[in-house]
Amino acid sequence: MFTRLSAAAATVVLVLMATGTGSPATPAPQASASPLALTLPNRNDSLKFAVLGDFGTGSTEQYDLAKQMKRVHDVFPYELVTLVGDNLYGSERPQDFKTKFEDPYGPLLEAGVKFYASLGNHDAREQRYYKQFNMDGKLYYSFKAKQNVRFFALESTYMDPPQVAWLEKELKDSREPWKIVFFHHPPYSSGDRHGSDQRLREVLEPLFVTYNVSVVLTGHDHFYERIKPQKGIVYFVCGSGGQLRKGNIDKSSGLTAAGNDTDQAFLAAEINGDQMWFDAVSRAGKVFDSGVITRRK
Amino acid sequence: MGRWSDRAGMALSLTAVLAGGACSRPAPPGAGDAARPASADTPAATAPAAQGAPGASTATRPNSTDAPVLHDFETRVKEYAALHDKLEATLPKLPKEATPQQIDSHQRAFARLVQEARAGATAGSIFTPDVKAVVQQLMAQVFGGRDGAALKASIMDENPGPIKLTINGRYPDTVPLSTVPPQVLQGLPRLPDALEFRFIGRHLILMDEHAHLIIDVIENVLPS
Repeated sequence: MFTRLSAAAATVVLVLMATGTGSPATPAPQASASPLALTLPNRNDSLKFAVLGDFGTGSTEQYDLAKQMKRVHDVFPYELVTLVGDNLYGSERPQDFKTKFEDPYGPLLEAGVKFYASLGNHDAREQRYYKQFNMDGKLYYSFKAKQNVRFFALESTYMDPPQVAWLEKELKDSREPWKIVFFHHPPYSSGDRHGSDQRLREVLEPLFVTYNVSVVLTGHDHFYERIKPQKGIVYFVCGSGGQLRKGNIDKSSGLTAAGNDTDQAFLAAEINGDQMWFDAVSRAGKVFDSGVITRRK
Repeated sequence: MGRWSDRAGMALSLTAVLAGGACSRPAPPGAGDAARPASADTPAATAPAAQGAPGASTATRPNSTDAPVLHDFETRVKEYAALHDKLEATLPKLPKEATPQQIDSHQRAFARLVQEARAGATAGSIFTPDVKAVVQQLMAQVFGGRDGAALKASIMDENPGPIKLTINGRYPDTVPLSTVPPQVLQGLPRLPDALEFRFIGRHLILMDEHAHLIIDVIENVLPS
């Protein structure tokens, strides 16, 4: 097993073009006009997507970041957004869906961007029936995107044996070389508030390793963090889509490859062939983490 | 929604509980072959492959003397499931691509039906004193293990602490759902879809996730 894991780990190559732990927070209105310094190749037939988590607050900060997402979409037309949970904080009456989701992301919805949700601990189970979340009435599901990518959405607040068995079969049966899993609770995180969910890791990581998952997208801790590759897999925490817990990244964790706990952020990514490029973009419009991941084989 | 009858035959598996202590619950609609519940006496019904199985260190085993008690729990849950199914079938089916208005209206209408049908329900109607004792014993094994403190910490993460719970009342809108670690779910009896175990403070609740109602509660399951 050790040899196999080592070989798998070696297939992940991270080329850091820019890293940082904690870009200074900037009031969004002034910064939004600054030029976007995206590093993504923006190729014609690539899969372009974004990642957003812990966003449904209805706050000014959420709306500011949503504007940056639209701004990025204008030059980098991503077709889908994976939501890593905590989609609606507080009450979930119809008006909350409007003010915490449909209004801020209305321009993206109008542009045809599809949002695929996973549920966090603040989300009612009925969100699975919400049309704009594309969950098809399921708490956990998978879908195929172009460029031979399959996404797997999990429900991490209730990881019961049937869900684990379902995931194993889905991963095993998947013929897509790119396997990306997204859910709320991070198996790896440097959060002082929450941190790594080791109980979840104990159950999921062996499956990720065995079935060649390349990238795992999570939230829950209210900051952005890219974890140093773990057993060949790159983990992201994208939990500052609206919420933000300033100064919460524990820099002594030894896990952090790059992070930002000073401003809201989302991730934009592009897959073409065996490579995935990514840019993390702050509410201030700053690209503060970029790189390229080669898929596991 | 309204799929309860599809799952009626496999709502609870006492056999699975007694055989392996690795309890499961039915899959969501259309989740794929592996997610469909296998028969209770097959390995697939109880646990995923070893590498994906929740930590063995906290696996629990009910005593054989608990079988009548767990059977009684199964019966009571089935009765609730039948009521749930019957009431939900009277409502228009919620589409898989619903609007927020449809979701909200359906949930509240369904909750009202359940509340009316169970008017006067009190704690202990499903978690009887005997069931409560067995569940507390199972959970004592889980939380008394070497990972017990970490499991409790996972559950208490964003847990609001003690609040007033009302049986047959709406789960508080502002209270996040507790995370129930896989190792804890492994130690609890199997439930049908639409019913979940959750924790509020140290209390274990049985929640109807479609109706968003607290069906029953066992107080102080988590160690202090």
